[in-house]
Amino acid sequence: MSKVKEPVDVVVVGTGAAGSLFAAVLAEAGKDVLVLERGGARKLTDLYSSQIWARRLKWASPPVVEKGPDSIWFNFNAGHGYGGAAVHHYAVWPRFHEADFTEKSEYGRALDWPLDYSDLRPFYDLVQSDVGISGDAKKEIWRPEGDPYPLPPVLVTNHGNVIARGFAALDMQTAPIPMAVLTQPYKGRPPCIWDGWCDAGCPIGALANPLAVYLPRAEKAGARLQPHSHVTRVLVDKPGKKATGVEYYTPDGEAIVQPAGAVVLCAFTIENARILLNSANTNHPNGLANKSGSLGRYLMSHPAVGISGLFNEDMQNFLGATGGQLLCQDAFGKKSDPDGAFGSRQWEIGLALKPNDLLGIAMTRPDIFGKELHAFMLEGARHMGSMVGVCEDQPLPQNRIELATEKDQFGFPLARIVYETSAEGRKLWQTAAAEGVEIFKAAGAREAWHGPQGGQHIMGGTIMGTDPASSVLNAEGQAHEVNNLFVGGPGVFPTSSAANSTFTAKAVAMKTAKFMLENWGSLNG
Amino acid sequence: MMKLTRRALVDRAFKGSLLCLTFKLGGVSMLLTPEQARAQNVPLLKLSGVQARRLGFLADAMVPGSSDLGVVHFIDHQLNADPNEALLIAKYFQVPLPYLDFYTKGVEVAAAMAERSLEKSIDELNADEAERLVKEMSAPGAVVDQFPIFLFYLCLRSDAVDVVYGTPAGFEKLNVPYMQHILPPEGWNV
Repeated sequence: MSKVKEPVDVVVVGTGAAGSLFAAVLAEAGKDVLVLERGGARKLTDLYSSQIWARRLKWASPPVVEKGPDSIWFNFNAGHGYGGAAVHHYAVWPRFHEADFTEKSEYGRALDWPLDYSDLRPFYDLVQSDVGISGDAKKEIWRPEGDPYPLPPVLVTNHGNVIARGFAALDMQTAPIPMAVLTQPYKGRPPCIWDGWCDAGCPIGALANPLAVYLPRAEKAGARLQPHSHVTRVLVDKPGKKATGVEYYTPDGEAIVQPAGAVVLCAFTIENARILLNSANTNHPNGLANKSGSLGRYLMSHPAVGISGLFNEDMQNFLGATGGQLLCQDAFGKKSDPDGAFGSRQWEIGLALKPNDLLGIAMTRPDIFGKELHAFMLEGARHMGSMVGVCEDQPLPQNRIELATEKDQFGFPLARIVYETSAEGRKLWQTAAAEGVEIFKAAGAREAWHGPQGGQHIMGGTIMGTDPASSVLNAEGQAHEVNNLFVGGPGVFPTSSAANSTFTAKAVAMKTAKFMLENWGSLNG
Repeated sequence: MMKLTRRALVDRAFKGSLLCLTFKLGGVSMLLTPEQARAQNVPLLKLSGVQARRLGFLADAMVPGSSDLGVVHFIDHQLNADPNEALLIAKYFQVPLPYLDFYTKGVEVAAAMAERSLEKSIDELNADEAERLVKEMSAPGAVVDQFPIFLFYLCLRSDAVDVVYGTPAGFEKLNVPYMQHILPPEGWNV
């Protein structure tokens, strides 16, 4: 028999980008908030400047079975412990564009969101003001309307300037990359020192990871964070119309029931869907909030391509932010691809480089080993340039999260991922790979090459939509079928855009949190 | 003589390597770099002598100098760690647990490849032959005896790159400033 805890107003599952924001906003409004985190506790000073030590931020045995044919790179994208994936995210925060929300109605492709950019804009602006984004709104010519950035742009070194030469030679525009990294002191946080350790987690709080902004705010407002609490199911009342709380397990296998007035799932894209699928009951035989059959479907990941090159200049590539220095969204128009592929693309230019790790200098040429490697490393450390192309993926119902036959230590099925990059996404990737090499050559690279297809960001699976027959959540991130159940994070996106997902996930979460507060009385009605 | 406090030792180790781990020697826990652990013959916890010798040989063929810098002790230490705390790049590649199986099978398959392709024991390969073996392992997507030997190559090469280039001393070899934000607190490596 499960132990039953004292009820709380809200239980938030997950301490990452979305969960931390929900916890702060709801607690600051006076709600009694408990945040359950499957991983361990962590504070800023636990983040060491080392790509080797940064691997502690990753899952060892993720609750995921990837069956392909393509990988969504779960472990690269996900995180473990307080702050989740957002602890090691690169804080590249462009907004989604207007057309990202209306692809079905405007182009007859993909899906529409149940809201448009103008609905979300105030929440982008609010989050931007909370965390402090650095950039130049005027130079970012592609940017949809919004408040100017509160901080001046990030550092641009030779790395950015030399590569920008290639864009200019091909009549392409570049602008300072919008980044949730401080260039000046802001709301008590110090500015970045441009040492390129973002991927290892920023221990000074210059990068707006959850440990720096929303989790401290949440705790200050009285929210309680509880680590090592593995949520397995959302519990509902007999009619199945109201969430009564969640079930979680302690590391020693004790099952606990946490009653709550509202449940917010922010355990990242895959785990949110898995929890809902595992929450099947008499009234929801195919999983909670899954009468439409769309739960777990429309899984997306940005096809990404790394471009590397060797230049004559000293590129100063060890300086800056991991996410880059400049941005190009010239190919963001949905029909701008020369080969006719539908969707957006963008370039993130001048990523700070380290010698080791998955995105380090050595891994750009995995074919080099032995005596030649040291010469390559010496050359790369001074002369390598780097940028990454990010492409839109299409929401396809066959790309999905389902329950696996394999089970976790508590007897609950793992998530099984069935994913293949959309044909449009693959074409965009091919265009990007060729274009990237051309840009580097135009910039004067002696050698330029691209890496294999990778996957950035994981979206979909619990999509928002107007029609309950084809989506899981409404425009407020609220389950169509259970009105005190909410989901946060990029899993709610019906389309992927080619913009990095964290800012939009935060803006949607902010909108949802405000909705919850404004409609609190009716949530349990 | 200045008293060497634990804090000073951590700081010194950090500045020298950043890979200071807790090894046990003679029942006593000591803070050592993998290089120091190797030099002091700290007993391995997971790998057998043969596995360790072959793993070091392969790592050195991939990244020269990695064996002397203790890549085998680094890997062995991590194979004995709580997987969630493990520092191996195998995590990124979603190598199934336990990682020990992956490393021991990788060594076993590499040895079998040497026997088949070079008609020699892996223990008897000269430098040119080692290079040929590693070249075969590094073929993108290579699977041998139903084992992802290319993935093993990527992981072992990356482990070796970690100990040679991923530390402050490694950055210095490349004339790149390390620029750590903050020194880790005492006990960080436990």
